[in-house]
Amino acid sequence: MTLAPRELARYSRHLLLGEVGLAGQERLRSARVLIVGAGGLGSPAALYLAACGVGTLGLVDFDRVELSNLQRQVLFTTADVGEPKTAAACTRLAALNPEVRLEPHARELRAANAGELVDAYDVVLDGSDRLDTRYLVNDACVLRRRPLVSAAIHRFEGQAMTYVPGRGPCYRCLFPSATDAGAESCAEAGVLGVLPGVLGTLQATEAIKLLLGLGTPLVGRLLSYDALALEFREFPFARRPDCAVCGERPTITALAEPAPACAPAAGAWRSLSANELAALLAEARPDGPPLVLIDVREPHEYAAGHLPGAQSVPLARLERALDSLAGAGTVVFVCRSGARSERACALALERGLRAPAHLAGGLLGWVRWIDPQLPLA
Amino acid sequence: MLVTARTVRIASPLRSYTAGAAVVRAAGDTAAQVLADLERHHPGIRFRMIDEQDRIRPHIRLYAGDRELHGLEEALGRDEVLHVICALSGG
Repeated sequence: MTLAPRELARYSRHLLLGEVGLAGQERLRSARVLIVGAGGLGSPAALYLAACGVGTLGLVDFDRVELSNLQRQVLFTTADVGEPKTAAACTRLAALNPEVRLEPHARELRAANAGELVDAYDVVLDGSDRLDTRYLVNDACVLRRRPLVSAAIHRFEGQAMTYVPGRGPCYRCLFPSATDAGAESCAEAGVLGVLPGVLGTLQATEAIKLLLGLGTPLVGRLLSYDALALEFREFPFARRPDCAVCGERPTITALAEPAPACAPAAGAWRSLSANELAALLAEARPDGPPLVLIDVREPHEYAAGHLPGAQSVPLARLERALDSLAGAGTVVFVCRSGARSERACALALERGLRAPAHLAGGLLGWVRWIDPQLPLA
Repeated sequence: MLVTARTVRIASPLRSYTAGAAVVRAAGDTAAQVLADLERHHPGIRFRMIDEQDRIRPHIRLYAGDRELHGLEEALGRDEVLHVICALSGG
């Protein structure tokens, strides 16, 4: 398999590198890379991998492009708002490099499809924005023996690590679980727009190194990046003999749907789906048991759009407001994604509020299933 | 007995407890002492890192310099910075 003249021209700067050369470029052309999440991290990773001639790129994402994505998700343009991310990404990547075969997977990564998807690729990049997806991707890569380059971001900080089967620890060795992490997404915590550009580009670098067998991969080292201090630090970590998936006596031997990242103790509070909350609201009568809807997002998010009857009590001010909610009836907390509302439930329980509930999946789910017209900041 | 005041680098998701500060000072010759002092100045932060059984939470890692701490009673070197690392989820 030789490169066509147009490919020789396109990749000429690679061909000048003895470490890549014709053989390396052909290896890239025959390689298949899966990118989980076409977001802040997946955008630069996909652009660089397509530009440099990785033969097949798979993209997993079931979201649509939102205006608020464009501050950092450089795959997309303003005209793409409202379009499925995988479709818009493929258009952009095909324009960049028509030599690349693109495989859009516009579906949620689940236990039922993760193994099969991962199996079909040589290297996996995780740029998802949920901890439970991160564990699913890791477990799939360990069980199917696929290299994984994982990265994550928060505000001004990022981290990255690489897993290579048989050569070092996996993501679960680093963080065995995150059931009580209470992790915030970029939508909740904010993120410096350029931050995922740094981390996603590092992921692409690792993928190319792995495909070409070059250099030293980020195995057994957590790379931490602080954009404000402009500091990179490395923290070594080892394989855990008791790791649930890659340890000596693994308890995870097949993929299963993960528990939500912030799963509460059973029975502690109720998680309502959008349909369940809609039914509750529809059934609420003036003479019936009161239903108190508390929106714990920031004031500017509430101002952009909220559920009818919802009161605004930002999470940071909730503690003081809880006393007035005691005995108020059924209290349901809502936020954008369901993470802050779940923390609100935990706080309410600590303060003695009985059986609080929250909208699992947040207003994002509400928009998807109930009211697409509700504006979200 | 004098204890060492040292630098503690706080993971991004925990900075809501330190008024946004990435680097704070806390006194102690073991991680347990440093975290206790941290808790005195930034109430609530210790519980985000350490569970009810005094175990480091599974999404948290503590490092003295680049040396991982597996227990809270491990001694810290005189000039060692305590790094609090937390699993990030954003993408």
